[in-house]
Amino acid sequence: MITDNDELKDFKLRPMKCECNYLNRSDGSAILSQGQTVAVVSVNGPLDIKMQSQSIGKATLEVLFSSKGGKPSIGDRYKEHVIRQTCESAILGCLYPRTGITVTIQELEDYGGFLACCLNACCLALLNAGLAMRHTFAAVSCAIDEQGNIQLDPAPAQLETSRATMTFVFESREKSLVTAFTDGSYSDSAYSEAMERCRSASDLVFQFYKQIVSKYSYVIG
Amino acid sequence: MSEVYKLIHPVKFFNDYISKNVRPDGRSFSEQRNIKLNVDAIKTADASALIKCGNTSVICGIKLELATPKAEEPNKGFLITNVELPPLCSSKYRPGPPSDSAQVTSNIVSDIINNSKCVDLTDLCIVPDKLAWVLYCDMLCLDNGGSLVDACIITLMASLKTLRLPTVTYDPETEDIKVDTNVQTKLKLNGLPIATSFAIYKYMDRNVTLVDPSSYEEDMCGGLGANLILCYNKGFLCSSQKFGGSNFSVDCEEKALKIAKERAQLAEEVIDVCIKNYESKTNTV
Repeated sequence: MITDNDELKDFKLRPMKCECNYLNRSDGSAILSQGQTVAVVSVNGPLDIKMQSQSIGKATLEVLFSSKGGKPSIGDRYKEHVIRQTCESAILGCLYPRTGITVTIQELEDYGGFLACCLNACCLALLNAGLAMRHTFAAVSCAIDEQGNIQLDPAPAQLETSRATMTFVFESREKSLVTAFTDGSYSDSAYSEAMERCRSASDLVFQFYKQIVSKYSYVIG
Repeated sequence: MSEVYKLIHPVKFFNDYISKNVRPDGRSFSEQRNIKLNVDAIKTADASALIKCGNTSVICGIKLELATPKAEEPNKGFLITNVELPPLCSSKYRPGPPSDSAQVTSNIVSDIINNSKCVDLTDLCIVPDKLAWVLYCDMLCLDNGGSLVDACIITLMASLKTLRLPTVTYDPETEDIKVDTNVQTKLKLNGLPIATSFAIYKYMDRNVTLVDPSSYEEDMCGGLGANLILCYNKGFLCSSQKFGGSNFSVDCEEKALKIAKERAQLAEEVIDVCIKNYESKTNTV
């Protein structure tokens, strides 16, 4: 059990690299790599949408996920659901009533922690698009192996030997939990410990966001 | 009068209840709805169960089929789960191909079953690389009154518990398959996963956790379906999913875990009692 805060600060995530405005035709876009996992996200909006999908109180968020193979599957719908729900809680949709915001994610490489990478790329693309947000969010994944050790941001080799993988998304203001999803079975204590570790590690992601954004914006950064 | 009020001021209507520590349907925050379970509801299916949990009702039928195992996993059978949300169950759904929420629910249910490892797929294999059972588990929602995943998991587990596999003899030379329905074996189950749904509502500065939310409460808390789903199998968590709703603090988390654990025991009892009654009835007839 790790309780000491200093120790939590040494947690390492795989190196992150990002380029904003990667796609020049969309309102905001980002390509993000975490280790060898890479995703591209494009954000368009607020834009006109069909009458029937308009909502009078807030913007309608549309999330499209395309996998590398290009063939849609039930797993993709689930990923879209995760991303939509996370973005919806972050975007101040009430400022853009009767409009639509589309978020398109393209998978490039999946070497572990893919959905976490997608979520982080989405956050950067949303920032890049200049949409009003309640908070930013950072996704951190971790794996628990048979001995109960927690490995942050696991590589594919570590995923193979793990008994459970978890992904947590935290918001920037109070570090409270926005989204969580898990795979495999584990005990309550392992779950809470993994969450605490990921919560501390999310700081690194938020620092990274600041670094990226300050490159093009002096105001936000 | 209150119906009009609910339409004109939907948020205030809901907040008024929450501020009095009661939910619009009269339950307290941590109170669940009663579970009514009935096994063997469809006589033509190999196993089936019907659940009614508040207004939510889901029927599950299991069909057995024989197939050749996948080449990559020659000693494993198949367990295929599917959740259907027809327009019958709620005005939110339109006829046509499965909606996004049906696909997402399907995915969550199959993930829970796979992660809990309650069915060992190698048990479903009859002859490696040649013959294995396929369990088609179809869940049909008759009425979506919220907490859909909970209901789906309970019906599915109750059906699996009553499922009996006929004996199959396979002749490797002639490739002849003989199915003997007189000698049946129970399917071995490793534990009994039970899911518990929560809706998380932000009222003033505190988070209110609503256990076993109705569909109205789910809508009020934002998000499609429940905000938090925790699933326990034999004291171990086998799934934890949180989407949307209010953001979540640590103490709420602990409380939710405790409630989910208690509910897992309660639901397990319900299933056991129901199956015991069913078995004693079928034995006497």
